[in-house]
Amino acid sequence: MTNSFIDYLIRVRLPITIFVAICAFAVTYFASRAERDGVGYTPDQPIAFSHKLHAGQLKIDCQYCHTTVEKSRFASIPSASTCMNCHVVARKDRPEIIKLTKMYNEGKPILWNRIHKVPDYAYFNHSKHVNKGIQCQSCHGNVEEMEKVGQMNSFTMGACLDCHRNPEARMPYLKNVKKGPDNCSACHR
Amino acid sequence: MADNKDQNLDVNYWRSFEELNGDVKSLKLKHDEFHEGVTEDFDPEKNLSGISRRKFLALVGASAALAGAGCSDYREKGEIVAYNKKPEEIVIGKANYYSSTCSSCSLACGILIKTREGRPIKIDGNPDHPINKGKICAKGQASILNLYDPSRYQRPTKGNFGFRNDIDWKTVDKEIKNILTTNDGKEIAIVLHKVNSPTAIKVLEEFKNKYPTLKFYYYDLFDDGAKLSAFRKTHGVAALPVIKFEDAKIILALEGDFLGVDGNKLEQGRKFAERRDVDDTKNFSRVYSVEGNLSITGMNSDYRLRLSPVHQYEFVASLLNELILKRNIGGIALDGVAREVVSSVSLDSFASKHDLDKNVLKSLADDLANHRSDVLVFAGSILNEETHILVNLLNEVLGNSKLFSTTEINENLHEYSSKTEIENLVQSMKNGNVKLLIHFDSNPVYHLSKDFDYENALKNVANTVTLCIEENETAALSNYVLPINHNFESWGDASVRNGLFSLLQPVISPLYDTRQKEAILLHWMNDNVDNFDDKQYLNFLKNNWMTNVYPKINSPLTFDRYWNISLHDGVSQAKNKSQINYQFNRAALNSINKPKVSGNYCLTLTENLNIADGRFANNGWLQELPHPISKVTWDNYAAISHQTGKKINLKINDLVEISVHGKTKIFPVVLQPGLANNFINIELGFGRTHCPVIAADVGVNANHLLSKENFGSSNLYDNVTIKKVDGKGTVVTTQEHHNYDEALIQEAHKKRFIIIEGTVNQYLKDPKFVQTRPRHTLKNINKEHEYKDVKWAMSIDLNKCIGCGDCVVGCNVENNIPIVGKDQVGRGREMQWLRIDRYYSGTPENPKINVQPMLCQHCDQAPCENVCPVVATTHSPDGLNQMIYNRCVGTRYCSNNCPYKVRRFNFFNFRDNLKNSYYEQDSISLLHNPEVTVRSRGVMEKCTFCIQRIMDAREEVTRSGIKLKGTDVKTACQEACNTNAIKFGDMNDLESEINRYRNHDLGYVVLEDTNVRPNVTYIAKLRNSHSEEM
Repeated sequence: MTNSFIDYLIRVRLPITIFVAICAFAVTYFASRAERDGVGYTPDQPIAFSHKLHAGQLKIDCQYCHTTVEKSRFASIPSASTCMNCHVVARKDRPEIIKLTKMYNEGKPILWNRIHKVPDYAYFNHSKHVNKGIQCQSCHGNVEEMEKVGQMNSFTMGACLDCHRNPEARMPYLKNVKKGPDNCSACHR
Repeated sequence: MADNKDQNLDVNYWRSFEELNGDVKSLKLKHDEFHEGVTEDFDPEKNLSGISRRKFLALVGASAALAGAGCSDYREKGEIVAYNKKPEEIVIGKANYYSSTCSSCSLACGILIKTREGRPIKIDGNPDHPINKGKICAKGQASILNLYDPSRYQRPTKGNFGFRNDIDWKTVDKEIKNILTTNDGKEIAIVLHKVNSPTAIKVLEEFKNKYPTLKFYYYDLFDDGAKLSAFRKTHGVAALPVIKFEDAKIILALEGDFLGVDGNKLEQGRKFAERRDVDDTKNFSRVYSVEGNLSITGMNSDYRLRLSPVHQYEFVASLLNELILKRNIGGIALDGVAREVVSSVSLDSFASKHDLDKNVLKSLADDLANHRSDVLVFAGSILNEETHILVNLLNEVLGNSKLFSTTEINENLHEYSSKTEIENLVQSMKNGNVKLLIHFDSNPVYHLSKDFDYENALKNVANTVTLCIEENETAALSNYVLPINHNFESWGDASVRNGLFSLLQPVISPLYDTRQKEAILLHWMNDNVDNFDDKQYLNFLKNNWMTNVYPKINSPLTFDRYWNISLHDGVSQAKNKSQINYQFNRAALNSINKPKVSGNYCLTLTENLNIADGRFANNGWLQELPHPISKVTWDNYAAISHQTGKKINLKINDLVEISVHGKTKIFPVVLQPGLANNFINIELGFGRTHCPVIAADVGVNANHLLSKENFGSSNLYDNVTIKKVDGKGTVVTTQEHHNYDEALIQEAHKKRFIIIEGTVNQYLKDPKFVQTRPRHTLKNINKEHEYKDVKWAMSIDLNKCIGCGDCVVGCNVENNIPIVGKDQVGRGREMQWLRIDRYYSGTPENPKINVQPMLCQHCDQAPCENVCPVVATTHSPDGLNQMIYNRCVGTRYCSNNCPYKVRRFNFFNFRDNLKNSYYEQDSISLLHNPEVTVRSRGVMEKCTFCIQRIMDAREEVTRSGIKLKGTDVKTACQEACNTNAIKFGDMNDLESEINRYRNHDLGYVVLEDTNVRPNVTYIAKLRNSHSEEM
């Protein structure tokens, strides 16, 4: 009796349990992958700024606002004063612009919710990439079509290396593109 | 226990008195495995919650599933705080540099302050400054830590005897203004250190005009007093001459440390190193050092003689006797007192008396005689006035005044107060005649000799104001403690040379509710003190420059443009400078009296190169920077020679009581090779009592030994007694003291070719002597790396390296290196990536000393890379040995396998570990270099060849499209190296300087036999002695 019960446990119950566990893990792993990598993260912002309107319809160059992308590690979020270059006259009556103007006049910084983030120990450099001719969209997606900006691609080390080792795949528009470095110090210091 | 023998128990082992006494209950307990009731009634249904195991697991699963479903799906990534109005000059992620002037000491070197997003993170020298030419010493570099020091006073306080209450500036202003304007004829006193700012002097003068009962008292712990007054007597000039070290073929340093604490070590060191170029051996200078203490200069000299400083007078007289009377040099007929002094001695008998090497003395006399007017005799400011007068005579005889610059003239903006003046101040303080005493960023309670009785006198002053940046001994006894701005938050100017003016500008707005010290005085001059205008001093400064500096410069520009350009450059020079001709005044010789020397011990109280007069005591970087010679950190000690140590049976860390004319103090002992016998050296600046926590309990306050009965100079004492007392000190060093007695260790560094040295003559005769040393043919079992493009390499010229340690601090600041504290240094856990190894060879009496900066050698076949189980340390295509912190799991195998021992392990989160998280407070995080990871506990770290700077250069190359050159990158140590001993670049570039040094005849790599193929080349040291042999 005891023997047959153990037999049953090992032969039937154990494989079923393991199978269910593996299936559950696999499904959760793949289903949550995007979330783990942050892909699709589209938070609300303190001011409902539309990239679709500014970059898409009005065709304002990315670098009009993200001024330091060619000069530095950071693309940088524009200061409120950059917005006010136009909005001292443009669309002054809209509620979001009124909010902006109020913040600007009070001298308060706007706290934008961060969308793209690489860990602190990875020293990603915007200027290196942009100055090589890589377009913003290659990593950030078609921002000019987004009403609310979200993360479109994975920003993991694997994603970085995929592109460094096989740049043609994602950036077919670059002629004679060389492989990116894949030594540790290229990103970590 | 004997009375328990009747019971059948083993009384030798017992756990309780019950057991010992044979208690029945305890015996039963021994017998049963479980106590009564432990195993009974164990019914989970009854005693526990009643939920079965299966149910519990089901619940856990369900709640986990629920949590998974209900959780917000994305990780919180924080916020980006955008500027409201971005300052035009700021590019996020790029550094801005502002020129300013260092105020770590009174030498006023030009500095460049590197700021990131508005916060200063590093200090470098200002390359446009004619004195320090782009270099700055350890103190200047580390002074940034004082800006962010968490213990800075943050608001004014008022109180008595330790009870302090916060007070606002308005009330302070009102109360002080009341005191100032009370017309009772009583004195107002300002006690201050040397002031080198013409505008600050003007503020002080105007303050005096406004309040005529005001008096100034200038003092410094190290004030060049005797040297200055001797020079005034012999040359009639109130400032020491600027010496052209670059023109000196022979230098004789008499207890003089021109590479250390005497004069501007940056300027002197640079000029000295110019004459130590291995590619120009004909012009190699030769340094003789005659000293009691072992200084950096002595360490780098070609010949060194040990002589107690009290005998220097007789030594100089003997030299004069040899040169003037015996060799008839200089054509000077001595008369009067001088003749008497000189003729009564002779070099030979002096040598026998003090056991000096006669051959060395003879070659010294020959050199002095043969190279007249290319010779320099440099006497340390610690010597007494008489000796300095004789030295000045010696220089005059040898025609050396040629080496005194006629165009560069040191200028002092004021004189120091005499001892009598300070005594008078103390007297009127005691009599209650001082109504207001202002300590203008000075700390006389700590600095002044107890003879002055300043501390007691302070109690009789009704109103004491101390302007200071953080807690000190004087502030603790003051009514008002007013916090002042750090240098980097201040405006100002400085002038230490003729026609040379430099500016200070703030690079960050004051972190706390503090004011600039000059502005405080300026504000108190206003009739209405209700509203403080923080621009007032700036306007005053500008006006002063407009009226006093601008006309002298003779600039073709308008003042506003001139001002902006000066601010940008940090320095402004007049085109037509005044000139000076130094004339020797013979009459000075008549006033000399031969000092009387006792047979007892001699004591010098010298300046510590790192923490100066104690003002940097709370700076962890400087406290932890090993002493350049003894390698002691976090301490001062009584240094005595081996022989003296044997005589009174002393070992390192024994305690001795030192008495100077009735004043006694107990110190730990360090046996320092190379010291004169019957001589003690102690460094000042330690043993602070009222200070923030880093400085607390560090060293012993040797200022207590300062006495009026000195040997003609306030830091030199004769007739000192030393006595062993019970107890042990806790001195820790970063390098073991050399064991002279063990044959295995003795000179191991030479046997293993860690240090290779030779002489200039040897090199001239056999230029390949380094390369022809016995070497093994080596085979490699590992795969070779390929270096197609750039390959980084470093070379360190041991002829130029003086071992000062400035590079270590430069590296610390650049690479966010934590401070570990004395206890951890004692366990060998210091974190500095770069260390300066110091090797002795020869006898403990007359050791030869070599220094060698040791850092990660970035080996081509790095042994650390092979053993890392998680591949956290790997090789890069440009020859770097990479260390990846986030991959490291802390096995420490790499460190174990490193032959150079340059890897450092974070045994703790050291910022958290030291003194109750002192260096983990908010303000400190502003200091960190944002381009370098701040490492935490459990990871290995090491020198990266400043990878962040390499990546920066590569970024620039991508932008400009110009090919990367090795010279585009300068490492932090290279930038800090005052003598340009460190070179860095691309060794694959055949034209480059680094490639030349790498293939230099004198170049070698350390531990070549291990075949790890380092990328750091050392250039063997040449000593410029007369012989070909060492």
